[in-house]
Amino acid sequence: MSGALAIEVAGEEVLLLPQKALYWPRERLLVVADIHFGKAAAFRSLGVPVPHGTTAENLAALDALVERHGARGIVFLGDFLHARAAHAPATQRALLAWRERHAGLSLLLVRGNHDRHAGDPAAQLRIALVDEPHLHGPFAFSHHPELAADGYVLAGHVHPTFLLASRFDALRLPCFLVGPRRMILPSFGAFTGGHPVTPEPGERVFVSSGEAIHSVR
Amino acid sequence: MTTLAALDAWFAQRNWTVFSFQRAVWKAAREGQSGLLHANTGAGKTYAVWFAALLRGGERKPSGLRVLWLTPMRALAADTQRSLEQSAAALAPAWSIGARTGDTGSAERARQSRSLPNCLITTPESLSLLLSHAATREQSRHLDMVIVDEWHELMGSKRGVQVQLALARLRRWRPGLVVWGLSATMGNLRLAQDVLLGEGQGTLVEGDLSKQIVVDTLIPANVTRFPWGGHLGIEMLEPVIREIDQHASTLVFTNTRSQCELWYQNIIDARPDWAGLVALHHGSLDREVREWVEMGLKQGELKAVICTASLDLGVDFLPVERVLQVGSAKGIARLLQRAGRSGHAPGRVSRVTLVPTNSLELLEAAGARQAVASRRIEARQVPNKPFDVLVQHLVTVALGGGFRSEDLLDEVRSAWSYRLLTDEEWQWALDFVARGGQSLTVYPEYRRVLPDEEGVYRVPDAAIGRRHRMGIGTIVSDASIQVKYMSGGRIGSVEESFVARLKPGDRFLFGGRFLEFVRVHEMTAFVKRATRSSGAVTRWQGAKMPLSSELAHAALDQLQLAAQGVFEGPEMESLRPLVEIQQRWSALPTSDTLVVESMKSREGYHLFVYPFAGRSVHMGLASLFSYRIGRTQPITFSIAINDYGFELLAPEAVDWARVFAGATGAEVDLFDTATLLEDVLGSLNATQLSQQRFREVARIAGLVFSGYPGQPKSTRQLQASSSLFFEVFRKHDAANLLLTQAQREVLEQELELTRLRDTLAELHERKVAYREVRRATPFGFALMVERFREKVTTERLSDRVARMVRELEKAAAA
Repeated sequence: MSGALAIEVAGEEVLLLPQKALYWPRERLLVVADIHFGKAAAFRSLGVPVPHGTTAENLAALDALVERHGARGIVFLGDFLHARAAHAPATQRALLAWRERHAGLSLLLVRGNHDRHAGDPAAQLRIALVDEPHLHGPFAFSHHPELAADGYVLAGHVHPTFLLASRFDALRLPCFLVGPRRMILPSFGAFTGGHPVTPEPGERVFVSSGEAIHSVR
Repeated sequence: MTTLAALDAWFAQRNWTVFSFQRAVWKAAREGQSGLLHANTGAGKTYAVWFAALLRGGERKPSGLRVLWLTPMRALAADTQRSLEQSAAALAPAWSIGARTGDTGSAERARQSRSLPNCLITTPESLSLLLSHAATREQSRHLDMVIVDEWHELMGSKRGVQVQLALARLRRWRPGLVVWGLSATMGNLRLAQDVLLGEGQGTLVEGDLSKQIVVDTLIPANVTRFPWGGHLGIEMLEPVIREIDQHASTLVFTNTRSQCELWYQNIIDARPDWAGLVALHHGSLDREVREWVEMGLKQGELKAVICTASLDLGVDFLPVERVLQVGSAKGIARLLQRAGRSGHAPGRVSRVTLVPTNSLELLEAAGARQAVASRRIEARQVPNKPFDVLVQHLVTVALGGGFRSEDLLDEVRSAWSYRLLTDEEWQWALDFVARGGQSLTVYPEYRRVLPDEEGVYRVPDAAIGRRHRMGIGTIVSDASIQVKYMSGGRIGSVEESFVARLKPGDRFLFGGRFLEFVRVHEMTAFVKRATRSSGAVTRWQGAKMPLSSELAHAALDQLQLAAQGVFEGPEMESLRPLVEIQQRWSALPTSDTLVVESMKSREGYHLFVYPFAGRSVHMGLASLFSYRIGRTQPITFSIAINDYGFELLAPEAVDWARVFAGATGAEVDLFDTATLLEDVLGSLNATQLSQQRFREVARIAGLVFSGYPGQPKSTRQLQASSSLFFEVFRKHDAANLLLTQAQREVLEQELELTRLRDTLAELHERKVAYREVRRATPFGFALMVERFREKVTTERLSDRVARMVRELEKAAAA
């Protein structure tokens, strides 16, 4: 049981993964939004102590998904690096070592707002860099969801979460917000928060419990 | 220039006599002694310590900062300044007196940073801020005396710990520093003295304690035998209005802001001619509104103010003739404090009148009077080495000139809360600010506090310093949202969690008006006046305080007397029919008997237990019981609690007779204390509770930055919520002492583990009276209504309850 949920958007079957990513089987592409590498390091350089381990956690999560689905490439929907301080040597070393383990993987980054401040990732990482929207098949890979594009928009930026509430209990969970013309992915990063969203009419909400995807609206 | 002779003359001119406690303080302070002055109310205590400071100044012209006056609320600073200036004008005209709080303007601040006044009135947060500036040490070289006002209010909180640390620092700079605290009555004055002055240090001066305090009750015309929370509210409106009418000025204390709003609304509806004469005061209202009300009260322009704890403190809210307390006061100290709002001047009688909102509160009223008469007053707990405050202090001191580890450790340990701080814990805190956490990891990019070549820890980065100063302060309020009219006017602020529950078009009562919610935009809730006058009103409830253990015991003592047929005073006399039906149908809970009732109804199988230990302990007990029963029999309970007991309701039968078989509590396995901690952690969602606690811890420790003023969002790079930190720490740094602290605070403060343990120990001693009852008893009925309240709307609730009361009354008459 992978806990993933297959849905159809823009005539394509995609898998919503409980690990807060999307998989496009036909192209064997893993799609990941808002990973924010180096965010912990950025906090530390500003004098806020964050324990180490979040970069390794992110990379291990990518490892597991690539292996499980046999992905041949990853598309990052923006905010790959959190800030300039993300170029800290320790973070860069970890990223390079990971890249060497996956030398054959094609990597594509659609630049987001944080990437503009942080600067492009190092050339040795061999990541193809594009501006939004990046058209591929029926999809327009973007960072900002509000973008008008000729295609079904897959975007991040919002870090959407949804409040599941009953009379006794309430849980805030990361979610996919799936509309007729665009989908917003949850943030993938281990050290990223979320913002509650209210779906508009015609939008469906899929929450991730960490183990499975549930359709809630 | 001030001498004893000048003081005597000053008093004589006003035809006042010097109290002996005032002389005692003057004498001790002149000899260089520190102390704690225990005085209830009145201006007498201000003159005691303030004139002591002037006497110590002697006949020289003062230079630089000599006296620091700490006050818990910035609203009090202006009052204090006025009061000190008035007396100084005649006695010590050369003294300059100033205030520095969060409200102080930037021009005044700039002037003060060049030279501080001779007497500075400030708050704990602003004092910490001063310590973060390197120039403060030089500016304090003439500091002679520190006065800590309302110490009883501060000592139980993290702000009190902040005061302890600041005093430790000032004493290090000025070894002969004289410190005086002012405290109202509390259960552990000796401890208050030790915490402020150091173990066994200083002297305790007892003030004007002969003050007579009267506690009485507005007895309702009909005392129902089947009570439920709030049902007497409206019935008591008439008597309350009569009291307001008969007196020049009245304070009506309520327990929650929503109760405050409701009473104000009902009073104005009944007496429209009082519009403008009766006002509303609670902590969520805009500061200008509150100041207007306070001023009106002082100038005798208001006939009555309906208020919450927001008016508990204050130096000279002069003539209030009458004080009413609506609902339970929850504690004796609070009741005394509120009583003191009337007859404020020395020698006058203070009186507080209780207005019960349900019949059982008559029991508390009777108990409270007894406890006040015998001065059985709650003790205050002092936080034990909170790491968040320590971490904040380390950065503050590093900013304010830097520190060496071993010197500062000595100094910190001289603060009572950290007297048992271990070397390991110190090292952890130091590593946390200097290296960002785990001592074995090196984070080359981490910078907050760094040792220089000589081993002096400093803050190397000006931006970090600026952010730290913004974050100083230990009062953490729930994120609040401004409430504004669409047309512009500000009304006040409410909790974000309340606004989150509102839908556009929902109506609520706030600031004495019915408002309709329109939308939220950038941390502001926009509203307009509600046009519809009917329809549901969203209730806006504050946290409910538990009954103090002193008051609960006092109530049980009254029941003990009643069990022996002794009904003392009008409260117990009017409660007699209720007590008798409880005895007839079941048994009376008393200080030596625990009553347990089981009952079957259409709803299912009920269990009622009456330990009289306050709502938070009952929540803990109810969860503990259902967890322990659930281990032997898979079952789900719904739980209801109040301050007197709790109810467990199950869809199927439990053999309660067997569970409670035993002559005393010690023979009932359910009351076992050996595995208490594990079971409490297992029974409640302790993780989620800790995460909520961690919000406060993370902010004090400087992890979460709430932004510069006028800039609602922090710098984008630094956005992260405390829950995110909580997750990351739990996953990657589980030994972090801030996490441990959050868990400890949950157990001690929210679940009141110590009190839970004490309660179980007490139950071991009590006889167990297990009764199977056919219908709800008076005590059980109150709990059942508590449970419905969660489920149904107010209107339908009163219909349903009225029907049940009719049925029960019929049975009682038979």
